[in-house]
Amino acid sequence: MEKIKKLTWREIPQARLAVWTLIAGEFVIFGGLIVMYILNRLKYESWGEMAQHTNVWAGTINTFVLLTSSYFVVKAHEAAVHKNKAQIKKWIWLTIVCAFMFLGIKSYEYTHEIMHGFTLPGKHLVAEGLGVESRYWSFYYTMTGLHGLHVIAGALALFFVMRNVTKTGKNYQRIEAAGLYWHMVDIIWIFLFPLIYLIH
Amino acid sequence: MKIFPENASSYGGEVDFIFWLITGVVAVASVIVIFLLLYPVLTRRRKLTKTQRYQKGEGFRNLRLIYLGILLLAIADFFFLYKEGPTWTKIEETLPDKEFHVAIIGRQWLWEIVYPGPDGKLYTADDVKKINQFYMPVNSVVHMDIQSYDVIHSVFIPNARFKQDALPGRNITRWVKMTKTGTFPLSCAEICGIGHANMKATIIVQNKEDFKKTLTKLYKK
Amino acid sequence: MNTHKKHGFWHRYFFSLDHKDIGFQYMLTIFLMVSIGGFFAYVFRMHLAFPDMKVPLFGLVTNKDYNMLITNHGLIMMMWLALGMLLAVAGNFLIPIMIGTDDMAFPKLNKISYWIFLLSVILMIASFFMPKGGLGVGWTLYPPLSVGDFGYNTPYKSFADRFFTANTFVLLAIAFEFTSLLMGGINFFVTTLNKRAKGMSLLKMPMVVWMINIANLLFMFSVGPLVAGTFMLLLDINVGTGFYDAYRGGDPLLWEHLFWFFGHPEVYVILLPPLGILAEIISVNSRKPLFGYKFILTLTLIAAVLSTMVWAHHQFVAGIDPRAATVFSIFTIIISLPFAGIILAYIATLWKGDLRFTLPMKWALGAVALFTLLGGFTGLHLGASVFDIYAHDTSFVVAHFHYTLFPTVIFGSFAAIYFWFSKFSGRKLNQTLGNLHFWLTFIFFNGFAFPLFLLGLAGQHRRIADYRQFEFLMQDPLPLYRKIATISAVILILSQFIFLFNFIWSLKRGKKETENNPWQANTLEWQTSSPPPHGNFKVYPVVNYGPYEYNRPDKDKDFTPQNEI
Repeated sequence: MEKIKKLTWREIPQARLAVWTLIAGEFVIFGGLIVMYILNRLKYESWGEMAQHTNVWAGTINTFVLLTSSYFVVKAHEAAVHKNKAQIKKWIWLTIVCAFMFLGIKSYEYTHEIMHGFTLPGKHLVAEGLGVESRYWSFYYTMTGLHGLHVIAGALALFFVMRNVTKTGKNYQRIEAAGLYWHMVDIIWIFLFPLIYLIH
Repeated sequence: MKIFPENASSYGGEVDFIFWLITGVVAVASVIVIFLLLYPVLTRRRKLTKTQRYQKGEGFRNLRLIYLGILLLAIADFFFLYKEGPTWTKIEETLPDKEFHVAIIGRQWLWEIVYPGPDGKLYTADDVKKINQFYMPVNSVVHMDIQSYDVIHSVFIPNARFKQDALPGRNITRWVKMTKTGTFPLSCAEICGIGHANMKATIIVQNKEDFKKTLTKLYKK
Repeated sequence: MNTHKKHGFWHRYFFSLDHKDIGFQYMLTIFLMVSIGGFFAYVFRMHLAFPDMKVPLFGLVTNKDYNMLITNHGLIMMMWLALGMLLAVAGNFLIPIMIGTDDMAFPKLNKISYWIFLLSVILMIASFFMPKGGLGVGWTLYPPLSVGDFGYNTPYKSFADRFFTANTFVLLAIAFEFTSLLMGGINFFVTTLNKRAKGMSLLKMPMVVWMINIANLLFMFSVGPLVAGTFMLLLDINVGTGFYDAYRGGDPLLWEHLFWFFGHPEVYVILLPPLGILAEIISVNSRKPLFGYKFILTLTLIAAVLSTMVWAHHQFVAGIDPRAATVFSIFTIIISLPFAGIILAYIATLWKGDLRFTLPMKWALGAVALFTLLGGFTGLHLGASVFDIYAHDTSFVVAHFHYTLFPTVIFGSFAAIYFWFSKFSGRKLNQTLGNLHFWLTFIFFNGFAFPLFLLGLAGQHRRIADYRQFEFLMQDPLPLYRKIATISAVILILSQFIFLFNFIWSLKRGKKETENNPWQANTLEWQTSSPPPHGNFKVYPVVNYGPYEYNRPDKDKDFTPQNEI
């Protein structure tokens, strides 16, 4: 039986094409959430007040952390192009460390907010008659929570791809694919950050 | 054979007209489509040459008839929109001056009809609530404030060709003007739980004197 | 489904990476789901025609049972049957082989997609057995009702009380199913772009491959907001958030928008693959090129774009701004135009054709006729917002969508199965049983669905367990129409057993298919053995011709395989 040659469409490698399609789908999901958030923000002034209770410093540090991690992922991709296993390992581990830092800071934020009564169901707020405001926090936790899950997923993907590539010495294109996904996670945060933390 | 229930409202006839207009055009189009499908099926022309059969539809020439078909449909489509536009605006976007104003509030699984009471104003202390009995004067514009306490319900009056969903947390005001006296059903047209099939109110349209008497009796209680 | 190696049962039905085996697994799972959905339809239709009867195989139908039956019938048919059969099954069987390659771009991802689909089926079936019973809120899942029986005031006792509800399980099932379809979609898309045979440009692909891919892209684009919305509804149910709670500044209408923003493109997602299947079958059985290949493609893309702009025609009377409704009415009525063009192109394919009335052709012709005349045209009625005021949530709508969905999804699936069965299994379906199946289905589908138009026009609203409270709906001839619809529906469902028997029997004992190309068709799957080997082709084809070169004047035969020299 003949073997199939790996064909490409307009020279776009398979893995890249697949991840771009995945990214497009994710954009629509987060896009929907972001649009709903914006519409609600415009409609309810009290939401703006709730937004003031987010920790701008934590948000800013996290943005910096994610941007740096994206730089690390680019370096990892470069290392993959040169098939340099040691470098790949180094840069991906640095990216994963950034992921941990991001999640750690996020956990700190969440703890702080929950202790102040700003919870997902917002029972305290509702009891005080602040039903509309409680929905702000519903959106906040849903959007940042979903984003956080994608950070974990991206970090796991990077880890497993790194292990697979450095062990087998094959499939270097997967580093780029996982890296692309990581960039998507970063970009989504770039949208969330100003919406949630900055605009008052 | 009766297709629709009796029309008893001022704009019901317009709604029916749109149905018949579209049905008429569609009937003509259907005859054409049926012919176009049956002709090849029944004739099964076997004697054609390859050149006659090898038609790929490229270029404007071969597609002419299809473009014509689409154009005709487009004209019909825009004609439908043109005809229904004013009726839609009338029913949904305008509120003629009211002669009577009630609130109709759905809850699982009954309709609360709130009458304005002797002061004639809704949402005041003398409002009277009735369950599932909706009295209306004939030939009068009645405003209905449509609301819901719990889940989504829908006010459906077949004889008026009227329907409006009732949403919790919202007040939607629509109007109807009944042109015949009698009793007419009002059903709930949005699934609202296990009692959805039981949500039925009755509209009693009365002439003006009888209606005055009914209100007086209602408000005395 | 392959004879290259004799694989064990477990391998073939669970672990195989071959797209044909995976397609078959999807198909069997969907047969199971459609049996459940069809059974539910049987039960509730019996109840509607004979209200106090103990329905055989079910018992007495209470209002709660009725709501559960109609809800799950709708969910199973729309989500698992339609999306599953037309995206997962059709895509898996057809795409790799029709583009002349060995398998999908990501076979392992394909396998995982199936397992996630299977998980979604398990969750869905589990939802029937929850403590509070199966879900009874309508397949459209509108909150506040879908948050619990009494909306946001439903007395939940604990998290477990919230989690182990049909509401949660159905939403989780849908979420997993969407995940499976998204993964499959990426796979199909990359496969189609990257793995086509040499010489097969995009415009030389069979129409059905285009249609499945456009459907997939439309699906992937439109499902995002609903994924978010489903997540939000799950939170409302399980955690007590108030996304859709009007008393907390939320909005039930928000769910409606999120649902229908996907829900409307979804019906085009499930329409496009059958249109593609019809294109193949009509062309082969007319011995003529598909009329207007680029024309059909362009119209399909236009329709796909338009389909994302019409969603609120499901919400004309829902409380949206009436001025917005006018915009949606306009787009809805306009979307009739590209589809009219496509159907006319199919008719032009038939015109002057040397027609062969094979079973697939009968299904295809039946599909075109019923979809256009009674499905598509009544869409004009409902798109006219004024008439929709009356017709919304009546049986008129039910008739409309059965006339658009059944001829395309069901007739289309049968057309495909009768067409490709011998290719993928190596055996032939019994033609006598097939003809019996076709005629019974055609006649009794109409017997079921047409009376529903008349009932809707008479003012019969839908999702009602018992019409006896409504005097105006008990006047002759309405109860008679309901009985006719029910008896036709029951015969319709029973007729499907003929197919099931034929399918299973023929798989094991059918006459062997000795030819590669019994239909004398052009596309690549017919240029390999029946069934195809693992990897589909012994020698990979190089494509020189488009897929519809029938009766070429410069050729002897009346067909020209795509890989002919």
